[in-house]
Amino acid sequence: MSNDVLRGNFKTRDKVEIKQAEETLEDRFEMEAKKRLGGSIAFVSKKKVMWDTDKK
Amino acid sequence: MAKILLINPTVREEDVPRHVPYGIALLAAIAMEKGHLVQVYDENAWRQGDETTKAVCVADDWDIIGYGGITTTYASVKRIARIAREYAPQAVQVMGGGLLTSLPREMMSWIPQVDVGCVGEGFITFPEICDMIDRGGREFWDIKGTVSRKPGGGLIMSQMRPLMHDLDSLPFPAWELFPLEEVYFKNSQALFSEEGMLASRRLDINASYGCSLICRFCYHLGIAGDMRYEKDANGDLNVAFDQPGTYTRDIRYHSPDYVGALVKHAYDKFNINFVGFLDENLMTMDKFSGRTWMNDICNKWHDLGFAPKAKDDGTWTGIHWSGTSHATLCTKGVLKTMREAGCSHLVYGYESFAPHVLKTIGKGATRESNLRSFFWTLEAGIRPVPNQIIGFPNEDFDSIRMNMNAWDDLGIQVRPHFATPYPGSEWFTTYRERISGQYDGNMERFIFDLGDASSISAVISHNFNAVELLGLREAMLQLNYRRIDEYEQIWRKNHQIPDGAPSTLLSENMTGAFLRDADKVKSAIKDSERQDAVAEVTGAGGTH
Repeated sequence: MSNDVLRGNFKTRDKVEIKQAEETLEDRFEMEAKKRLGGSIAFVSKKKVMWDTDKK
Repeated sequence: MAKILLINPTVREEDVPRHVPYGIALLAAIAMEKGHLVQVYDENAWRQGDETTKAVCVADDWDIIGYGGITTTYASVKRIARIAREYAPQAVQVMGGGLLTSLPREMMSWIPQVDVGCVGEGFITFPEICDMIDRGGREFWDIKGTVSRKPGGGLIMSQMRPLMHDLDSLPFPAWELFPLEEVYFKNSQALFSEEGMLASRRLDINASYGCSLICRFCYHLGIAGDMRYEKDANGDLNVAFDQPGTYTRDIRYHSPDYVGALVKHAYDKFNINFVGFLDENLMTMDKFSGRTWMNDICNKWHDLGFAPKAKDDGTWTGIHWSGTSHATLCTKGVLKTMREAGCSHLVYGYESFAPHVLKTIGKGATRESNLRSFFWTLEAGIRPVPNQIIGFPNEDFDSIRMNMNAWDDLGIQVRPHFATPYPGSEWFTTYRERISGQYDGNMERFIFDLGDASSISAVISHNFNAVELLGLREAMLQLNYRRIDEYEQIWRKNHQIPDGAPSTLLSENMTGAFLRDADKVKSAIKDSERQDAVAEVTGAGGTH
């Protein structure tokens, strides 16, 4: 296995490697919950919600 | 030699990447064979975001950045083109694939960063473009199969590129340039059969190009001989595809020797245990070959030792495989032969079980042939994958109930697609104004909206709008006849259609136009004694 995202028949001037995205517990939960969405399975996607309690 | 970066755009982000892009893998192999320096960035596989795409664009001094794909890659391609122009301004941008071919003038207008488009099949056109760039030339209009920009503004479409017939001269796809171990083999599973479910090292192959049938929702984008060049309403040369009464086909397939050698190469180099045939319709080729092609491919599978053998632990040795079939063109014998060689599942575009709908879609299949092939396939030990579509132009309450009955009787578990007029299909041409009207006259918005037809985009049903189709699909999935009966009464009242009258708003003229060609297809297929019955309708000639 290789971390190079570029694959070819010559060596490029610069190497570009995979940036491993760190999966947070929040990401994992939301992904799993989304797979079973429906009926009583509902959740708040925290990255999408916007609120400002001060404005209230 | 030119320094070429090929980028595979992101598609279907809601799912993991499952398929190595066969066309890009072939073009990479062809370019390398011609002596060019090639790198592939599989953006769809890696899904690393724009920062990595930018890094790739500055990783070397690219002469050419090439990208393309199917229509649903549009948003990604547009983004890649912008990034490439900003971060690799020196590179000539080449776009190809079905996306460009379906609407070449529109794509060149909507994506101004594209320097040259490869219209239709790129096997010869793309390397010629690379050679010209390498020589310092930019007169792309001298190369057949291109659309490019005039020095003073405007577009030039060069002569149409004839299809390549010596397909066996193609190199094998450069699979090694894609992240097989890191991404694709992990996503090998094909949930269509037990064997597909257990696939752990799957690669896809393409053994043929095109299909002789004239399904009005389907598109081939030049590779089936379905493309013509005509002057459009503005007097400009443009592409034209299937239109009512005008169908052209050029059926091509690899020899069984090539297919066998390709699979052996994939096995020897990558240790695969499953092959997915990407072919549009394996049975078209079998019919064209006089019923020898599938048989010979299956014999190759046995000769090479790839026909699976069961082991005591419930697993097996060898290579299982899957593909696409056709309800009317398959035979009981060929299905048995295919199973013995390791075929695990076959996709059938049954689309509908309503005779009056099937008659209008140009498929050459009937409710009877759907049912016959369904049982033949099961009897052979192959799982049929019974695809269904709702929202056809003459879909009505009767057809909806007929489909529900069939699903119930046959044990079909399905969430049907919506009939979608993809660019290049006959129904895109027929309904173009209607589609545009659903997007405020902005066709680009429709292209952005296109997915895999499991969600709704432009509606071509004459009887139901998008909201009705969504609701009806839900009721169908639950086999809820009562709700559908109730809604039919409301619908009839809204449209002033009395009880007993057909539940359709489609004019008789339009139905008649669909039926004329459908009857030609049906009678040609039915007469199986005549050689190349389908070719009689389409005027197609088979080659390999």
